[in-house]
Amino acid sequence: MSTTPHLDREILTTLKDVMESDFMLLIETFVTDSRERIRNLHELVPQGDAEVIRRAAHSFKGSSSNIGASRLAELCSQIEVQALTGNLDIIPELLAEAEVEFTRVTTLLQEFIAVG
Amino acid sequence: MSESRSLTILVADDTDSDRLILETIVRKEGHRVISAKDGLEAVAAYEQERPDIVLLDALMPGLDGFGAARRIKELAGESLVPIIFLTSLTDTDSLVKCLDAGGDDFLSKPYNRVILQAKIKSFNRMREMHATMLAQRDQIARHNEQFLQEQAVAKQVFDNVAHSGCLDASNVRYYLSSLAIFNGDVMVAAMRPSGSMMVLLGDFTGHGLPAAIGAMPLAATFYGMVHKGFSMTDILREINGKLKTILPLGFFCCATMIDMNFEKRRMKVWNGGLPDCFIYRKDDLSIVPVRSTHLPLGVLPNKSFKDDCEHYELAVGDRFFMWSDGIHEARDSTGEMFGEERLRAVFERNRQPEKAFDEILGSVQEFIGGGEKNDDLSLLEIVMDEPHKVDSVARETIFRRYSSLAEWDMCFEIKPTSFHAFDPLPLLLNVLMEVPGLRNYSGTLYTIMAELYSNALEHGVLKLDSAMKDTPEGFTRYYQEREARLREVSAGYIRIHLQHSTSPGGGRLTIRVEDSGEGFDKSNCSAEGLSNSQYSGRGLALVDKLCDSVRYLGKGNEVEAVFSWVNDD
Amino acid sequence: MAITSTVSADGNQVTIYIQGRFDFSSHQEFRAAYEKLPKTPTHFRVDLQGTSYLDSSALGMLLLLRDYAGGDKANIELVNCSADVKKILTISNFEQLFTIY
Repeated sequence: MSTTPHLDREILTTLKDVMESDFMLLIETFVTDSRERIRNLHELVPQGDAEVIRRAAHSFKGSSSNIGASRLAELCSQIEVQALTGNLDIIPELLAEAEVEFTRVTTLLQEFIAVG
Repeated sequence: MSESRSLTILVADDTDSDRLILETIVRKEGHRVISAKDGLEAVAAYEQERPDIVLLDALMPGLDGFGAARRIKELAGESLVPIIFLTSLTDTDSLVKCLDAGGDDFLSKPYNRVILQAKIKSFNRMREMHATMLAQRDQIARHNEQFLQEQAVAKQVFDNVAHSGCLDASNVRYYLSSLAIFNGDVMVAAMRPSGSMMVLLGDFTGHGLPAAIGAMPLAATFYGMVHKGFSMTDILREINGKLKTILPLGFFCCATMIDMNFEKRRMKVWNGGLPDCFIYRKDDLSIVPVRSTHLPLGVLPNKSFKDDCEHYELAVGDRFFMWSDGIHEARDSTGEMFGEERLRAVFERNRQPEKAFDEILGSVQEFIGGGEKNDDLSLLEIVMDEPHKVDSVARETIFRRYSSLAEWDMCFEIKPTSFHAFDPLPLLLNVLMEVPGLRNYSGTLYTIMAELYSNALEHGVLKLDSAMKDTPEGFTRYYQEREARLREVSAGYIRIHLQHSTSPGGGRLTIRVEDSGEGFDKSNCSAEGLSNSQYSGRGLALVDKLCDSVRYLGKGNEVEAVFSWVNDD
Repeated sequence: MAITSTVSADGNQVTIYIQGRFDFSSHQEFRAAYEKLPKTPTHFRVDLQGTSYLDSSALGMLLLLRDYAGGDKANIELVNCSADVKKILTISNFEQLFTIY
């Protein structure tokens, strides 16, 4: 099991300072956006176009890392690598893991906001 | 906060949260943000807003970052638009792809505010430097264009001045490379009224406009004076004085000037600072070098300027070669100079003197080799020929245009009201200095005129008695009295009559001074005046010695002095 | 026209410089240059380097100086004469009365 943290508190704290009042909006945007990305990946995986899957995972990796969701970014990266090597069979499993991680991250983000 | 001015920055990212972060960071730095959600939007926004810096996500739907970067660079043309790729790509190939598409840098996710800030600053500096460079380049291009135009005009003006001469005469050959006037070389030739030919080759120090500027007064003075018949020393002095006055310190003109007399088969040469010129004898194919024995023109004040010339007897068919140091200093591909030895060797090999000119040019060009340009070459050949064969067409036009005022006559009358305030001598002396041949005698002429005028004024008009000057006290009293009477004089006149005529090889000036007085006691004028030890009585004896003849007319209130001279050439 | 002069430290030699035209108009100045000295010099120099022209009144002034300086015993040098100036001095036989350079 990975030791990468679910949330990188340092990144998140910096973001909060930078975004100020827009921080809430950012988190909401990320959550909405990510939900859409997971839904999209669920659709793409059965179609079997490795390159399209890879791109989608790549973008998801970028936005996750920006928000400090390090383990989610790592899972996206694994999907990207498997897609690149054409190893599509293992992807549904990784996607399910990513979905669980995303739920976890969502909860943690809400906690982070609540704590202030 | 940012030290630089507020920039406009385009942020293109299809991920809303990423874009939101970037927009906020950039705005916090004090810049204006334009947002785009994909590549096409980014290109459209660029076209419309012309942002200063572009932040571009690599992977976007529709047109991706690579494609957008290419389009934006095309649209930007010459101006520098830094493009920073936003990417979580890490493999080398992808990064290379970003650069190939025109990207200037990367910013990897997760974004680091400090790094982004630093990149924006550094790219803005680069952008500003580039803009300054473009502006300066354009300015240089504009200046250069203007400069070339001015050069063309200057060359035309110069050609108009320089081509009034006789460089195209049948006994002259010259080579002056096309850009030579801007290398400071000047070549002028003209016929004197007497039928001899004067040629001057000059090489101004320096290059470009400062060198070319001095050539204008040189050429104008040369043509103006040669056509009027002034002697070589007069012309050299005039040019020297003019250049000394106008050229800045350290600028001068190395020059050789000749006066070739076809009737007498003689030549005078003055060489100040140019390489040895050659006389190439037709009979035995020998060379007589004519060394530089003077400082260049424009170095010394006229007072210490040396105008002595070398004189040579020439036979028909003898040739005179002069050149600027461009021939000696022409370099081959290894940097070696042509030098005087090679120049002499050309003459040693030569068997037909009329081909020497072409052989010199040929040897130099062969030595330099094909690739190099030889813009510094100036070469002149003047051949001693029978007088009637020297281009008669050139001579006649010159005579028609410039025939000098050979015979003239003037009368100048000073009225009582002017005696006190006005001294006519400088004015009249100026008039006389316009006569070719008289320049060398300005001191003598001044003394003659001064004596005749003083006598007419002091004895004729003011009626002073020289006997007063017998004692030192009387000498002082005499001039005090002169001053007093001058202030009060209300009647009388002095007429100065000058008459000039030319004679073969020289001229004659008759000076007649008439006053309103009672007349002069002729016995006072004798050569003995010069051997007495009196303080006065010397004047007319001096005039008598300086002139060919002095005689008194009428009742002795009119004196006529005749001064004749032989031109020094 | 300007006349200037310098006197040696011991007061024995005076040098008179003449600029431009040398004629009667500078007569007062010329006399003042040698007459108004605290001590009469034994040696006189007239520097004609800057002299463009001279006439017979200038010759008279030189003779006045000569008489002032002791006549036949006078020690006077005329120096830096141009060709024109020298010619006038020579014609007037002044080389018998002055030392001319």
